[in-house]
Amino acid sequence: MAADRSTPNRRRWMQGTAAVLGSAAFAPALRAQTASGGPVRIGYAMSRTGPWTPGAQVSQEPNYLLWAEQVNAAGGLDVKGVKRPVELVSSDDRSDIETCVRSYQKLMGSDKVDLILPPWGSNANFAIAPLAQRFGYPMLAPTALSRKLIDMNLSFFFSLLQQPDRMMGALVDMLAANGAKSVAIVYMDDLFGLENFAALNNALKKTSIQVVERKSYPLGVKDLAPVLRGIKDQNPDAFIGITYPPDTILASKQAKEIGFNPKFFYASVGTAFQLYRNVITAPGAEGVLGMGSWNAKTSPSAKAYFDAHTKKFEGKEPDRWASGHCWAGLEILQAAVAKVGLDRKAIRDHVAGTTHKTIIGDVRFTGSENTATPGTVGQWQNGEFEVVWPASVATAKLNPAKPAWK
Amino acid sequence: MSATAWFELIASGLITGGIYALVGLGLNLQYGLMRILNIAHGEFLMLGAYLTWMAATLLGWSPLAMLPAVFVLLLGLGLVVHRLTFRKLAADAPNVDVFEARGLMVAFGLMFLVQNLASWAWGGDLRGYDYLTQPVQVGGTQFAANKLLVFGLALLFSLALMALLRFTLLGKGVRALMQSPVGAQLVGIDTKRLHPLMFGVGLGLSGVAGCLLSMAYTITPAMGEPYTVTALIVITLGGFGSMGGTLAGGLLLGVIEALGMHFTNPSLKSLLSYGVFIAVLLWRPNGLFSKR
Repeated sequence: MAADRSTPNRRRWMQGTAAVLGSAAFAPALRAQTASGGPVRIGYAMSRTGPWTPGAQVSQEPNYLLWAEQVNAAGGLDVKGVKRPVELVSSDDRSDIETCVRSYQKLMGSDKVDLILPPWGSNANFAIAPLAQRFGYPMLAPTALSRKLIDMNLSFFFSLLQQPDRMMGALVDMLAANGAKSVAIVYMDDLFGLENFAALNNALKKTSIQVVERKSYPLGVKDLAPVLRGIKDQNPDAFIGITYPPDTILASKQAKEIGFNPKFFYASVGTAFQLYRNVITAPGAEGVLGMGSWNAKTSPSAKAYFDAHTKKFEGKEPDRWASGHCWAGLEILQAAVAKVGLDRKAIRDHVAGTTHKTIIGDVRFTGSENTATPGTVGQWQNGEFEVVWPASVATAKLNPAKPAWK
Repeated sequence: MSATAWFELIASGLITGGIYALVGLGLNLQYGLMRILNIAHGEFLMLGAYLTWMAATLLGWSPLAMLPAVFVLLLGLGLVVHRLTFRKLAADAPNVDVFEARGLMVAFGLMFLVQNLASWAWGGDLRGYDYLTQPVQVGGTQFAANKLLVFGLALLFSLALMALLRFTLLGKGVRALMQSPVGAQLVGIDTKRLHPLMFGVGLGLSGVAGCLLSMAYTITPAMGEPYTVTALIVITLGGFGSMGGTLAGGLLLGVIEALGMHFTNPSLKSLLSYGVFIAVLLWRPNGLFSKR
């Protein structure tokens, strides 16, 4: 009984302490927010542990850090003519949707940060976009690839990557134009994989290309050799893997292992990573196709970004796809704040109604979709991931017959 | 399907199974002998993989040279971890069931600690290096040289452990402890020395498995967990405390997964593994190879 009596007291005491501690923690932040010229607080949650980390720590968070550093080194973020320092408020989402949602709820609901930056990956963006809509925070997502998300017509959500139909459309156009007759498809069984798989099938329907095999696989797969051996026996002209970084490398290594060397070998996310060249080696990667849309040759500003990134992270290069789009998103946000200040509705309107000049070229949104960047195909050539399709944005000519694995 | 295709499929299953067996053996040594259900087992595998990767990329060492180094380093780490945690737990626990429950909690803690330590030290990026990826012809089919090496070494280490337990006095002591802890202590077997040593050997084997895996796969701080789960399935298949059973169980699981993935779909892999796991728990709860 003694325990029963002491509990409410203890609870009240704890509540009191928590309230005091809480207000002590928030008071300086509140003061900083009201003072003009205080920092602009920009919040995000990012995968630093768990299975999403390899993608998040290549394509996304390094760019946030580099951007904040550059902006602060230049005297701060230009808010309608007033320079204010940028303060990033970030936490680890542990590659977990629940944690991610709670983090953003806290950032927008109770911390009331000035702006947010998006989390990594289609799944997390799918969960956060409606929340950002509710709180009225513009969200320029660099790593969301989902037609369903675009079709939700969220007015505060903007997706920077080319959507599945564009990427797969470009791939199929390229295959058809180069005389491929048959393909085998292996795809990851999550939102990203399923949507791209559907888009790929739609694009293939319009051509005479035969599909000899369609197989799905789960996240964290350790062995694709049994599937690849089956595909090798059917000898298709093209292999298309709708894969994430670990599986992109796994499929490549195992294709080499079993001597499966189709004319076109395409793997999705991760092909554009520096890691791919490190692990498969430059001669081994020669001719491998994948999702990529820019490199340092795309524009002088792209080269400046590439060099700054490589310098800050001691030789770690940005990937040749989402990293460039992520940087473009930061450029757009920065320009919008300079123009209209921190009024989030005004930022949203500016982003929606303007054609933006970025390192990856013009970006323009129709609804949530970036409709100015065409679908692209990249290819490893002499140790660099080149854009090879379509010709309008190509940085090198396509090699239509992949050399043997080395 | 041709005979060659069958051979290929089963061989690729055995290669994966070899690693499963090695990871399972380390865990079984800890659980079978001391009732430490080391949920953090896979994390030490990850440590082994990272140490090998660092030596290979920064110092240019051969991953093979790292095998003994990783084993010794993790054995040492195992002794330290045991001294800091499980030794006190064993002394304080009133009986072995309580010890098992508390040990599980400690192992959970270790899992988070080691995983986050690795994230902090090396970041969350995927890592990897190129080592012996040339294909080798075997009976009309081909396999990557590193996979064959991994399989050979996994088998070698597994058999070495089994030989150690069967033919040496040390092994006899360990087996006696597995059969009857009280009886073994009555005849003068020193648990205070054997327990930390075997915990260390378990971790060492886990590190060796990580070292081998890093030759063929990319690595991340989160790579360990799936192997812990697989190891649990493997020792359930083989029977707690049965080393031969664990080896057979690991190889069997590898082959089942390879066949299942070929004939159905890789997406169903987990269903297959857990299906086997549940079936064994239902019909042979002491393991497929137990004599009881």
